Formats: sequence, structure tokens, C-alpha cells
Amino acid sequence: MIRSVLLAGRAGLHLRAASQIAVAAALAPAAVTVRTMDRPAVAADSVLALLSLGALCGTELILEAHGPGAAEALDTLAGLFATDLDVAGA
Amino acid sequence: MTTNVRPVLEVRGIRLHETAADRESAVHRCADVLEELGAVHPTYREAMLDREWAMSTYLGEGVAIPHGLDKSRALVRRDSLVVLRFPDGVDWDGHPVTVCVAIAARGDGHVALLAALAQILLDPERARELRETTDAEAIVAMLSQEDL
Repeated sequence: MIRSVLLAGRAGLHLRAASQIAVAAALAPAAVTVRTMDRPAVAADSVLALLSLGALCGTELILEAHGPGAAEALDTLAGLFATDLDVAGA
Repeated sequence: MTTNVRPVLEVRGIRLHETAADRESAVHRCADVLEELGAVHPTYREAMLDREWAMSTYLGEGVAIPHGLDKSRALVRRDSLVVLRFPDGVDWDGHPVTVCVAIAARGDGHVALLAALAQILLDPERARELRETTDAEAIVAMLSQEDL
């Protein structure tokens, strides 16, 4: 199962955002990978792996998960990538 | 607005023999070096400490990346990064840190730098080189040659 999302964070995928997403991925019901047009797929539950993508605001991220819980896991993570996590209350 | 200019790393911004009693002292040393290079306004130091206490800047593999807050961008005079090595280690909220990569950046150029750093740290050999090399030029080369 594949989902595509544009990174919303204006400051790009930095440490705080990546940490928040990695924690959500670790708690998600299925393992999720993320890739960009330039970088191969990496595990979404690794902060270092997420940062290695070098994703800037507007970068297209392709999320992939399989098996039970895949849809729910993709919904959760796509939602986070599509939110500017730096905005208060996000 | 986005800019994709990588912060500048110079050999004089690399310090291989630092010591710090704790995390706060290590962040102060990072701020000292950024100031010495004329990269930041003196009050950037406070933003670095605020950011550190808001959430640890520990990255992984013995590396932390002290930096300011989004709202402290105006205090950056010149996008820069400095690398301080602490051979004796510094306790970083439970993680032993031997390398600080301190960042002063106005745009989102630090995301590219972070990606380069993450790629190094995901490779055990290169991560070890970053922690152990005694060649400042080698560190500059490692952090400058990433293809992003």
C-alpha cells in the first residue's frame, strides 16, 4: 500500500519534526517506509533515516506499508507529514 | 521563503580537544566558537540553551547538534557550523556525546546539512571517522561532499 504526501513543514524535515514522526511510526500498527524521488526508502521509525532524506517544504514523500494495520499506519504518518509541526498546537 | 544554501564549515570552526563538565557547558562552548567566528550575535547563545532545554538535540551515534530556535534566526549573522569534539564525552540526557555539530542558519539550509550528517551516522565506518579522526580537513570534507 502506497501513499504520497507533500511535506508541509516550512522549515523542512528537521530534528524535532523527525523525532515526533519516528515516535509515531514506532507506535503505528504496521512498519512504514518513506522515500523521495531522490533517496531510497528508509524506515520511518528511525530519526537518522528520516533526516537522511533531506526533505524540504513541498518535497514529495512516498510512504509504503503492508499487511494488517497498513492503512491506519499510513493515515497517521501521512497526516503528520502534511502538518507543519512547528505551528503552535500542531 | 526557502533557501538551500548549506551553512559554511571552516577548518577554524573545528575544535578537536574540547572538554565540558556537562551538557550546558558544552552548548556554551559551541556558542563561544560560533561567536568567535562572527557567525552569531552574542544572544544566540541563549536561544541555543532554550532550544536544548525544550528538547535534547542529541542526534545519535554520540553526536548532538546544538542550534537556536526558529525565532532566533535574526541573531545569525552568517550561516555557519562548527564541530567540537569532546574526547572525554559529555552526558547528554543519558547519551554519551563526543561530537557536537553546532548550527547557525537563517534558512532551511540546515536540513541539507542534517541529511549529510545523518547519512554519515548511518554508516558505522564514517560515523567512527567523524568521532575519531584527528584531521580537521577530513571533517570538513566529510560534511561538505554529500551529494544532495
